[in-house]
Amino acid sequence: MKKLLAGLSAALALAGCREGQPVLFAHSLEAEAIARLAWVLFLGGGAILLLVVAAVWTAIRGPSAMRRYLATPRMVIAGGVAFPAVVLTALLFLNVTLMHSAARAPSDKPGIVPITVSGEQWWWRVAYAAPGGAAFESANEIRIPVGRDIVFTLRSADVIHSFWIPSLGGKVDMVPGRDTRLRVHATRPGVFRGPCAEYCGGAHALMALQVTAIQPHEFDAWLSGEGADAAPVQSESAREGQRLFLASGCGTCHAVRGTPAAGTIGPDLTHFASRRSIGADTLPIDRGNLLRFIAEGQKVKPGNRMPEFRIFSPGQHDALATYLLGLR
Amino acid sequence: MRLFARARTRKAAGIAAAGVVAIAMGAVLFAGSGVYNIAASSGHWTVVEWFLEFGMRNSVKRRAWAIEVPPLGDPDLAVLGAAHFHRACVHCHGAPGIRADLTAQRALPPPPDLTRVSREWEPNELFWIVKHGIKYTGMPAWVALDRDDEVWAVVAFLRKLPGLDEAAYRKLALGSEEAPQQSGRNIAEVGLVADVVGACARCHGTDQRGPASGLVPVLHGQPREFLLGALQSYADGTRSSGMMQPVAQELRGDSIEKLATYYSSLPAPAPNRPRGEKAESAAALATAGDSAAGVPACIGCHGRTALAAYPRLAGQNAPYMANRLRRWKSGLPASSNPETIMAPIARRLSDAQIGELSNYFASLTPGGEIGRSP
Repeated sequence: MKKLLAGLSAALALAGCREGQPVLFAHSLEAEAIARLAWVLFLGGGAILLLVVAAVWTAIRGPSAMRRYLATPRMVIAGGVAFPAVVLTALLFLNVTLMHSAARAPSDKPGIVPITVSGEQWWWRVAYAAPGGAAFESANEIRIPVGRDIVFTLRSADVIHSFWIPSLGGKVDMVPGRDTRLRVHATRPGVFRGPCAEYCGGAHALMALQVTAIQPHEFDAWLSGEGADAAPVQSESAREGQRLFLASGCGTCHAVRGTPAAGTIGPDLTHFASRRSIGADTLPIDRGNLLRFIAEGQKVKPGNRMPEFRIFSPGQHDALATYLLGLR
Repeated sequence: MRLFARARTRKAAGIAAAGVVAIAMGAVLFAGSGVYNIAASSGHWTVVEWFLEFGMRNSVKRRAWAIEVPPLGDPDLAVLGAAHFHRACVHCHGAPGIRADLTAQRALPPPPDLTRVSREWEPNELFWIVKHGIKYTGMPAWVALDRDDEVWAVVAFLRKLPGLDEAAYRKLALGSEEAPQQSGRNIAEVGLVADVVGACARCHGTDQRGPASGLVPVLHGQPREFLLGALQSYADGTRSSGMMQPVAQELRGDSIEKLATYYSSLPAPAPNRPRGEKAESAAALATAGDSAAGVPACIGCHGRTALAAYPRLAGQNAPYMANRLRRWKSGLPASSNPETIMAPIARRLSDAQIGELSNYFASLTPGGEIGRSP
């Protein structure tokens, strides 16, 4: 009994959790529409189930006139063929309209915030168009303004991934060689998680995305900061870390804008330390986790494309961490 | 009648079982009593010797049957094999002009004279023997079972061995290494060095001389820290090589540091082979990488300003580089530093890219910058 209660309260706590990836707590117009449709499905399905149970009961225990009536061909055709056909067609129509309106969004209308997200094994490349017009890259976390239309252009660099932020909208596949779209109009601020929703190889389970919805004026300020180059390093330790970062080849895969590091193979690290996680939501960001990811990344996220760098001494580790955690 | 037949079968089975038990007990009794003479000094009875030899030959042939023989004509292979043979095999087997150690020859069976018996085996059979060794003969297995490429080098040499005279053997195994003149006192104190001459230099060269075989890396002018790391990882077994592991393991005290310092201080050797032709695509790959394939630019880690834990590749031997990259590509595990970094990248290169890159780096001036014409 105690166990049951504990389980129930845990389930309630989970259901009440509005951050993360709850399906029925919508934070955008698109997700609200989906949630509405879901409720129509649940309630309608429940009502139909009740009807069926009642019919079955009547067929077994009901008065003989009712039973005869239930057995007529007309009843069988009406309840077994016509009714499901009408209901399912109506649901299909509702669903397609819903998907269509979110997927056919134009990305170049004024006032729209265009964001391009590319699924790659096993992380997310995110590109924003800065107010000036020049695009810049970030990775694994997205910020969006509340109350504006955001249009995601979704693509893939390798295999099929799927973009799904349950609190913000429907699931849309990222298909190699093809752009798909998703419009989102966030209604409330919050931090929402989205897993890659299509199996994409080894580290698929450790490929997730965080979307933070913030107020429009905060977003504008953030966007211009995110588009700026990395701030020059201040401390001696950070300078040593930057030297190591460049000399050990990190910059051939990772870019830190404003420095010679200009690699495009891995995630852009210009404002790395402002993110909440390492390795596409694999570990929370902190010094220990960062060093683990560098030295034993294949244990932390098996199969990920970054080789393990076990060459650094403890002192060098310190300098590297100081440099990277200073990239705000 | 049927009953009768069943009783007969049962009786036969009983006799067979009793026979098996009797044989097993007899074998235990025979071994346990110590009747059999295990002495190497007494030799085998002719019939026992024939039986053992018969079993050994058929086992080798049967097991080597499906092994595919790669091309063995490349002189680089035989030179590398000879240099290793001189260190690891000569003691027991001897070589043209070098008699096998008398003590080793008192083993049973005595290690055979390979100038004679190498002819009796096919290359795939030689490969199997060198790689796996032979039980109860004293023939050891290869130290690194994942380095078939090294074993083939020895096989390539063994194919040549029967035709070599003393001078030809010394030229192949020792190159131009000359034994220093030794005084009587020096011989008394350190032993004759004629046959151990050039422990490292035999393969890697010294002052003005580069490696004798293109399959051996040029160590001249590599960063000291890199050389130190490589020797240490051979010594502790994290980097696998049947040729380097035994050598590195013997290095005691500060000899690893001394060797690293020595080779890192050497100027680049004169190239002993024509530089290969250069592909433009390789220069682009070396300086800019191939983002779509996940291959970073080589220059990031192998340029002049890179970390001292990384090797410099300008002027490196092309066959060595290509072989090393291909070994990783075909799955050689990498557990030493900085191999864990390079192996996943090597696996993303195509076979053609590996060939072009190796030729490109070989064509560069040693110590020079990548991306500049030599």
